[in-house]
Amino acid sequence: MAGGDKSQESDVPRQKSFATPETLKVGCIAMVYKEGKTRKAEILGVKDTKSGKQFYCNFDNFNKRLDEWVPLARVDLLQEVEWPNPEKPKDAKKSGGQATKKTAAPPSKKVQKRPFPREESVASEGGSTPHPFAEFAATQHSTPSADGNEKLTLALDLDATPGAEDDDPMDVDVEKSVSLAISAKAQPQENFDREEEIEKLRVGGSMTQNQAEISRIRNISKVQFGRYDLYPWYFSPYPETFAQEDLMHICEFCLMYYADPKSFDRHRSKCTMQHPPGNEIYRDDYVSFFEIDGRRQRTWCRNLCLLSKMFLDHKTLYYDVDPFLFYVMTTRDDKGCHLVGYFSKEKESLDGFNVACILTMPQYQRKGYGRLLIQFSYELSKIEGKLGSPEKPLSDLGLLSYRQYWTENLVEILLEHNERDERCSIEHLAALLAMTASDVESTLQALKMQVYHKGEHKIVVPTHLIKKHEALKEKFKTKPKRTIIAERIQWKPPVFTASNRTWGW
Amino acid sequence: MKRAQQPARVARVKKLSRSQGQQILREEEIDSREYEDLFQQQVNKITSGVEAAEETEIHLQAALAAATSGANEGEIPAPPADETPGNHYNILYQRSFDNPVSYIRFSNTVEDCTGCGYDMTSEDDVFLKEYNKKKSGGRYSEDFFEKIMAMFEETAKTHAPYASVDNTVVPFDTMKSVLVDRVRGEVGEFAKAFYDHWVIRQQLQPALKYETSKDNEDADPYVCFRRRDGRQTRKTRARDNASVDRLKKLRREMEDARGMVLATHQREIMKRDLLRTERMIFGQRAILKDTKVRLSIKSNDDDLINQKPQKRPRQSDVPARAPVVGRLPNGSIGPIAPELPQLSDIQTEKENALQRIIETKTQLHRKWNEDHIDLTREPLSPVEDRGPEPSFRPATAQYRYLTPPSSVNSEAFEQNALIQKEAEGTINRYSSPPVEIELQAQRAYRKRVGRLGRLWIDRRNMAPTPLNDNDVIMTDRWKYDQEDDDEQDVYPMDPYDITALRYRSTLPTRSERSAARPSPNDRLTAAALQPPAT
Ligand SMILES: [Zn+2]
Repeated sequence: MAGGDKSQESDVPRQKSFATPETLKVGCIAMVYKEGKTRKAEILGVKDTKSGKQFYCNFDNFNKRLDEWVPLARVDLLQEVEWPNPEKPKDAKKSGGQATKKTAAPPSKKVQKRPFPREESVASEGGSTPHPFAEFAATQHSTPSADGNEKLTLALDLDATPGAEDDDPMDVDVEKSVSLAISAKAQPQENFDREEEIEKLRVGGSMTQNQAEISRIRNISKVQFGRYDLYPWYFSPYPETFAQEDLMHICEFCLMYYADPKSFDRHRSKCTMQHPPGNEIYRDDYVSFFEIDGRRQRTWCRNLCLLSKMFLDHKTLYYDVDPFLFYVMTTRDDKGCHLVGYFSKEKESLDGFNVACILTMPQYQRKGYGRLLIQFSYELSKIEGKLGSPEKPLSDLGLLSYRQYWTENLVEILLEHNERDERCSIEHLAALLAMTASDVESTLQALKMQVYHKGEHKIVVPTHLIKKHEALKEKFKTKPKRTIIAERIQWKPPVFTASNRTWGW
Repeated sequence: MKRAQQPARVARVKKLSRSQGQQILREEEIDSREYEDLFQQQVNKITSGVEAAEETEIHLQAALAAATSGANEGEIPAPPADETPGNHYNILYQRSFDNPVSYIRFSNTVEDCTGCGYDMTSEDDVFLKEYNKKKSGGRYSEDFFEKIMAMFEETAKTHAPYASVDNTVVPFDTMKSVLVDRVRGEVGEFAKAFYDHWVIRQQLQPALKYETSKDNEDADPYVCFRRRDGRQTRKTRARDNASVDRLKKLRREMEDARGMVLATHQREIMKRDLLRTERMIFGQRAILKDTKVRLSIKSNDDDLINQKPQKRPRQSDVPARAPVVGRLPNGSIGPIAPELPQLSDIQTEKENALQRIIETKTQLHRKWNEDHIDLTREPLSPVEDRGPEPSFRPATAQYRYLTPPSSVNSEAFEQNALIQKEAEGTINRYSSPPVEIELQAQRAYRKRVGRLGRLWIDRRNMAPTPLNDNDVIMTDRWKYDQEDDDEQDVYPMDPYDITALRYRSTLPTRSERSAARPSPNDRLTAAALQPPAT
């Protein structure tokens, strides 16, 4: 039985009881088979297919990219199911969790749609304890969905299924905006959080939370892109009708998207683009970098964002691309320059971020391209004479890539200092690598290099890192290290005027 | 630096400064047991930059632990990408790419590179094939079809920009008229068929959701690429303050403007009252005169005389009243004989006499200066030519009121407005080069070397110009000149610079010039033959 110990719930325990295939609904936490065993999973969506009901599951402590539609057979109904509370199941992922706890939004014209058959039906079918918060008005999400059956089913399911409180993940945010309008006083915390969230979206290129729960469900199943078939990881706001398609086509050069194969064929017969539409600012035998201005190449950059959103959870497309520059890495062949990865960068970052979003396309991942992207971002910072840092939050893959890049470079410098028996300060390390001092500090700590020994702060390079470093050195003797050659960068920091800033870049 | 709170028995950890040089050790250089101990103390969490809720993810934790411990690299599983089976790629991507030798520079947009903006769908394909089958004669190509459809779309966008909201469908006649303009030749029967097809298809075009300022769309994850409105773009306080200041200033200016309108209104009322009073006085005086005549009262007509100074300056206003100011780089002479409006005729007479004296003196001075070449370092230039010729306009910076002069009191007038007298050129000039009317158009500058090798570029004073000359040009030329009492402007310049020399060499010689432009006036020609002071 799924215990409350694993999930990060707050004090209010969830109602537990046995579910039937019919009562199993969005917001439930059930035990679902994944990778050979049952795991706790939150049901984010339900759909009817020819082969029966399917449930979109987010597995506890698994990244969202591993979310999937599972058939009923994989749901272990022999174990009790947790029914959704007024509490959010993972309240850390959503804002305003506590605020809704005891002070649910007062009923409003929009809010009171759902009757309360659930308590009875839960009781009758599962024989469980009645829901403690049944009296609260339920917010219902009845967004007319152009999305056809699938989402319609989701909505219907929400309406019809008993057991849920006013807090289905599906409608959390509708409720939020409603309560924001209606009871700002009752929920100041929530109000604040939401504003803060929007402000975050305004300021940065990434986001911490997505405000709508629909976006928790992947909407594109497969993308044909260049030579590859890609399987998206996350939601991306392509036209809503695309969610019904089995396959979407994206032109690998101009990044235009097509659900209709004929349209795509026609597009390909006309499209003349063969590399990203900007100036090449770096070239070596291996890769090229192009600089693209979001304002001048709005269509292309929007397309790039839509594409990358499928693989970046924390990216937001809330705002337009104008205030960003996009640095796009490509490989060349006789067909053109193929998109490998990119990072975006604010034209003017108040927080000194040198990267907003960064992505290596899935077909090029685990091949060392990420390191080149990261290195390039720091080379640009060096030219600017600034210390840079990537915008937070980082994704899991982002953190690993950055950690790896930072560690490798720090270890190299530290070992050189060690050989020369020289002392080294954090600021010095930061300056050498154009990293911020706090990134240096966090890396040193994470790798247990920063110690306080005999009344003195010291940096100790662990043996395993030395070994790794030497192994790499050995490897590069035979196979030259792929690295950005700073001299080949033809780039001057772009200058933007006050009027650029005022008129939206 | 974040440090764990050390247990009490351990000496307090000194704060680590980021600029402090630290010793760098390899792990083997430190006693291993000691090394282990070092980390027992570390409790606090390291900021990873990953969102808290995701930090606990098992794959990430495994990977991080692997990196820290030196175990094999942990990998985070991710849905992989596959190569598309088959040879579709080479069919779809047929163009080959020649990599240029130099770095690519490119600014075409997606729209520039994709030709016709409409890509026909499978449904369009079916429709077109059907249509072509039914049709006798030539077939319509896919390109042609797309062109027409693109045109429909474009026309719809201009004629019904809010179609997505109000479902306006642009009528066929509109489309047809546009079509006739675009497609040369006959707009065949295809137009209607294509149009009907388009009307059906139009509703089905998949499109991104943009903001439409409807409620609740903040929460719609499909709505993307919102405009950042200017104020919210950046959260700088300075910007906010600047906006506030601008608003305040605007408000102030509005209030000032309002005040001015009120004042103007007041002024006009007063003017009206003044006129009424004057008229009344006039009438009263007429009565008085009549009465005097009737009663044969003989006295001096003082009670009638008041009328004169009131009226006469009004007629001779323009020439008499305007203050005349010489250009006085040395500040030796102030405004010359300003005539105040309330001066009597006699005073005007006196003033005119004075003017004449000054004029003769100036003429004398000029004569005396003729053929005089000043080679001193700081030459005292002869008086500028100021003939009585009305056709020449002495050059002074001018500030004219936009409002009619009558509404400005004479004092303000003297202070602010240097209105040119048109009839009298009464400009005296000192310390400026001799006048060479001939050169008025070309030679506007002179180079002198002053004390200590300082280089002076003198700008020629405005030569008299026919009044009908373009006024704007003249004013513009004097834009930066100003009354400066003791110093001429110094233009810093490299004394060894040959730019000026080169420039002069490009100018036509004097003889060429005089040949090309006959002088309007003999006297002036004579002056022109003077070598320029250098
Ligand atoms: Zn294309």
